[in-house]
Amino acid sequence: MSSAASPQPIAMGNGRPRAGRSLVARILDSKAFLRLLTLAVIAAIWQVYAVMVGGLLIPTFDGTVFAFVELLLDGKFWRAVWVSNQAMLIGFAITVILGIPIGLFMGRYRPAEAFTDVYINILLVTPMAALIPLIIMAIGFGLNARVLLVILFAIPMVIVNSRAGVRQVDPTLIEMAQSFGATERSIWWRILLPGSMPAVMTGIRIGLSRSLTAMVVIELLLIAVGLGGLIINFRGAFQPESLYAVVIFVVFEALLLIMVARWLERRLVPWGREGVLATD
Amino acid sequence: MIEIRGLGKSFPGRRGNPGVKALEGVNLTVRDDEFLTVLGPSGCGKTTLLRCLAGLVSWDEGEILLDRRPVTGPGPERAMVFQSIALMPWASVLRNVTFGLELRGVNGSDCRSRAQELIELVGLSGFESSMPFELSGGMQQRVGLARALAVEPAVLLMDEPFGALDEQTRRLLQEELLQIWETRRTTVVFITHSMDEAVLLGDRVVLMSARPGKIEDVVEVPMPRPRSAHIDTVEGSAEFREITSQLWVRLREWQVDIGRRGRAAAAGSR
Repeated sequence: MSSAASPQPIAMGNGRPRAGRSLVARILDSKAFLRLLTLAVIAAIWQVYAVMVGGLLIPTFDGTVFAFVELLLDGKFWRAVWVSNQAMLIGFAITVILGIPIGLFMGRYRPAEAFTDVYINILLVTPMAALIPLIIMAIGFGLNARVLLVILFAIPMVIVNSRAGVRQVDPTLIEMAQSFGATERSIWWRILLPGSMPAVMTGIRIGLSRSLTAMVVIELLLIAVGLGGLIINFRGAFQPESLYAVVIFVVFEALLLIMVARWLERRLVPWGREGVLATD
Repeated sequence: MIEIRGLGKSFPGRRGNPGVKALEGVNLTVRDDEFLTVLGPSGCGKTTLLRCLAGLVSWDEGEILLDRRPVTGPGPERAMVFQSIALMPWASVLRNVTFGLELRGVNGSDCRSRAQELIELVGLSGFESSMPFELSGGMQQRVGLARALAVEPAVLLMDEPFGALDEQTRRLLQEELLQIWETRRTTVVFITHSMDEAVLLGDRVVLMSARPGKIEDVVEVPMPRPRSAHIDTVEGSAEFREITSQLWVRLREWQVDIGRRGRAAAAGSR
């Protein structure tokens, strides 16, 4: 612990610039610069590979960028975005509304758990894509089928994390509340709900990324609408630039959603630790 | 006044193991405004006894009377301080202190001012909006104490409250607890496994032995009050030494005895 003797506060993270250094050095040291640099290297390798090896199905980097911009200016594209996200938003909303209470309840009451545990385990271990044909046979090709698949993908994560959240609440906190005469109702409101929030938020974050997966997977596999439908169309029409552009859009959307979820998590549970039960 | 009569409690064994008799034939009277310390080796059921008093667990035999009324559950005249402190990590110091008050329907400015007063009493002014994880262990237990005192209990139940703290912090908190108790007298039942702590704080020391947990003796501590102003003189006095060494003789006897019995049982089963 040689640094302990240092009277200066220790800077958080490596990227923080120290005063008195040149602008160039600071830029070279910053995180954003490093990220951009990695991106540039990847783009360069991509471009070189596409030009030199090439082929009909591997677009160039600049071609993909153009296609991406074109896509963003196209009304049809945004309709596809809406069609896809509609299923995801409805499915995710239902997942949260149903999944959290189910998980919390299972965490607190053992009989409820014994009853439902086996179904949760089935949902956790089954490759959900295998259920798609069943769902379509049962309820058709409509929005309902896509919503249902999103729920099936996402809800186990939300349930399992909420359940873990209630379980990991310090039992002496419950005892403490009881010693002050708390009823079961006030124990829920004052101890169990706030206590399980960190894990619930983790479940929401993982559930969100699973919803996005489900949304794309079902469109690619059987119900060719929305973004997945676009991907299939572009593939059929030999438009690899546009196909790549759609995929990149999906990646950006996923990143954006996860950032929002993380931001929410930090705002709502500043005391919580991350990744209570990061299953996925 | 608390009267404990013939209290017995056992924990059922699991999977064929014999159950544990945590308490057997416990008889004890706690006088009003008395500071009673309960001393015993770990596993002697002293914490179980306190949890019975708090109404957090039920028992098999006997009864507990509080001012002649039987105890059947937690009640507003009792408040507890926990060894693990049990602060809500998501709530500020102020919100932790108001917890008991809010549950009892005291709210608004009344609640706030009462909590404020207690926070000052335990020396945490200025930390009202701090979060528990920002505080040291000693400060956290001050919050625990303030939370219990805020509901103005007639009986304060303390379960090894300073057991998890380091030596210096423990001494400081012992002194402050005495100070507080000397100004606002309540009945205190204080569980500890430290002989010095038991004698320093208590009017009487209840000695418990383990397996089954029962009361072996109740020792008077006739040293004068108030003690908070001169803890060092109290602890340095011949009287203090005399009482603690007496306690040690007793405790040591049982420990050796338990060891002997254990060895005999092991030899017998062989």
